[in-house]
Amino acid sequence: MAIPGSFAAVEVCGIKKTFQVKQKTAGLRSSFSSLVTPTVRSVEAVRGVDFSLPTGEILAFIGPNGAGKSTMIKILTGILHPSVGTATVLGITPWKDRKKLAYQIGTVFGQKPQLHYHLPAGDTFKLFSKMYELDADQYKNRRGFLVEALELQDFLKTPVRKLSLGQRMKCEIAASLLHDPKIIFLDEPTIGLDVVAKQQIRTAIQTLHEELNTTIFLTSHDAGDIESLCRRAIIINHGSVIFDDKIEVLRKKFLQHKVLTARFSSPLESVFAMAGVAVADQTSYALTVEFDTNVVASELVVKNIFDFATCSDITISDPSLEETIHEIYTEKGNEL
Amino acid sequence: MTGMYASVRKYWSLTSVNFSNQLAYAAETVSRGFFILVILFIFVQLWSAVFTSQGSTEIAGLTLSETLWYFLLVEVLEIGRSKHDMTIAEEVKSGTIAYALVRPYNYLGYHFAYSAGETIPKLLLLAGMGLPLILFYAGLPPTTIISAVAALIAVSLALLLNFLIYSIIGLAAFVVEEVGPLRMIYQKLVFVLGGLLLPLDFLPSWLYNIAILLPFQLTTYAPAKLLVDFSWNHFGLTLTLQALWLTIFAVLLRLQYGSAVKRLEVNGG
Repeated sequence: MAIPGSFAAVEVCGIKKTFQVKQKTAGLRSSFSSLVTPTVRSVEAVRGVDFSLPTGEILAFIGPNGAGKSTMIKILTGILHPSVGTATVLGITPWKDRKKLAYQIGTVFGQKPQLHYHLPAGDTFKLFSKMYELDADQYKNRRGFLVEALELQDFLKTPVRKLSLGQRMKCEIAASLLHDPKIIFLDEPTIGLDVVAKQQIRTAIQTLHEELNTTIFLTSHDAGDIESLCRRAIIINHGSVIFDDKIEVLRKKFLQHKVLTARFSSPLESVFAMAGVAVADQTSYALTVEFDTNVVASELVVKNIFDFATCSDITISDPSLEETIHEIYTEKGNEL
Repeated sequence: MTGMYASVRKYWSLTSVNFSNQLAYAAETVSRGFFILVILFIFVQLWSAVFTSQGSTEIAGLTLSETLWYFLLVEVLEIGRSKHDMTIAEEVKSGTIAYALVRPYNYLGYHFAYSAGETIPKLLLLAGMGLPLILFYAGLPPTTIISAVAALIAVSLALLLNFLIYSIIGLAAFVVEEVGPLRMIYQKLVFVLGGLLLPLDFLPSWLYNIAILLPFQLTTYAPAKLLVDFSWNHFGLTLTLQALWLTIFAVLLRLQYGSAVKRLEVNGG
């Protein structure tokens, strides 16, 4: 667990990244004119991001497609040079000392597999041990641990092309951890996976974090990843951080909104009405209402419903994190 | 463990992993080998007919047997050459190349070691398959120990030169997106000016004089000619030209790769 004030694994300060994008309007004529005088437009992918990630923490970096997540991960691994700002990963400036950093970090890019497609994952592991210059004993122990922790025994010798996506992703994660990195960057590790495989990957990441205390930086656009893995999340949209705090805060701050569903033992005779409560759906035996806890207290709504008819079942739920995040995106998006 | 030793082990493991890749597709590799038999058989028929119709035992200083052994080596070199340019072009187009920057190896070193694992066994396999056929039709090779050693040296440098040239073609994907036409043009030049169609000796002398200085023949004609018709003069000229063109292409590749990395650092691929 992170000790407050301990050495930060990642420190980011005022990072901005502007891309130059060539513009072309439709049509043959403009195709020719853009050959001679290309119109260039600047696109700000990241607009001044600051955050710090303490050693041993899992941080989720979330945002919709095009929010700047991948740009950020590319900057932190040393691929991209930022336009403005400073950043250190394990005390190293990534884009200045890329090769040195490479030995100390692990990377999994969900959409860019690093395992050799035609070979069993075990062979790629061996190759990686040579790439990262591990000695034989070190490699054996490490591999033994990862195979057990991620339950890879059954398909380690199967060519990667014959594995399911979930199995493949588990092997990808194991491969990125062979050299005992202090921090791993997981870029969309659950992309394209079915529900079961997603859960497997989440459990795997959880186990690894518990056993190894590796710092994990994870990007995703799947709210489920964050809900089950992280205590802290950063939400990024249009290149800016719009939220950086604990998951509970995310819920509290944006989740005053409740949904109440009630079932009744006898048919309803009138339409339910109450100030500050919106009826979303009403049938003979069921009622769904929505309300804001800032406007009207939950107890009061429940009491009114009990008075309204004979209730057989009642459920109050929060909207899913997915919906919350969606709400944040659209709300903040509109403000910008 | 010394740094040097670790580096050698690192790249050697790449070579051996791709070698196992070849074994995973042994059937495909061997079936591609049959292609060379077809080509060589056609050449045998063609050149036997040419020599018969000429009614002489030599054309431009080469006998039929020398010509056939010549074609064995140039075809092995051409068919067996590394196809890493396609991989590089693919990696450039898909943007995967950016991720290679955060791996603990040199990108071109990686491809060199990796493609060696494919090229070396393929060359040996092709030579092994073509050899009995040529032996049957052309008899023992017109080769001495010296010419064999000279050819081997020239072959090694030819492979290196091929690696540089095809890397440049692959990385050109940064600029032209589709490198197919570029590769095609280069291959046609090798076909005509590199001695795949005819040994350069059969060309008119003005064209021979130009072709001999160009890089195309250094990956095909030069080693094959040394094998079948050795002369110290030609050996010296080949080594000099190979060294010269290796330097030129190495510098070009270095510049091209440098600007590619710059581009990735700015645009991210």
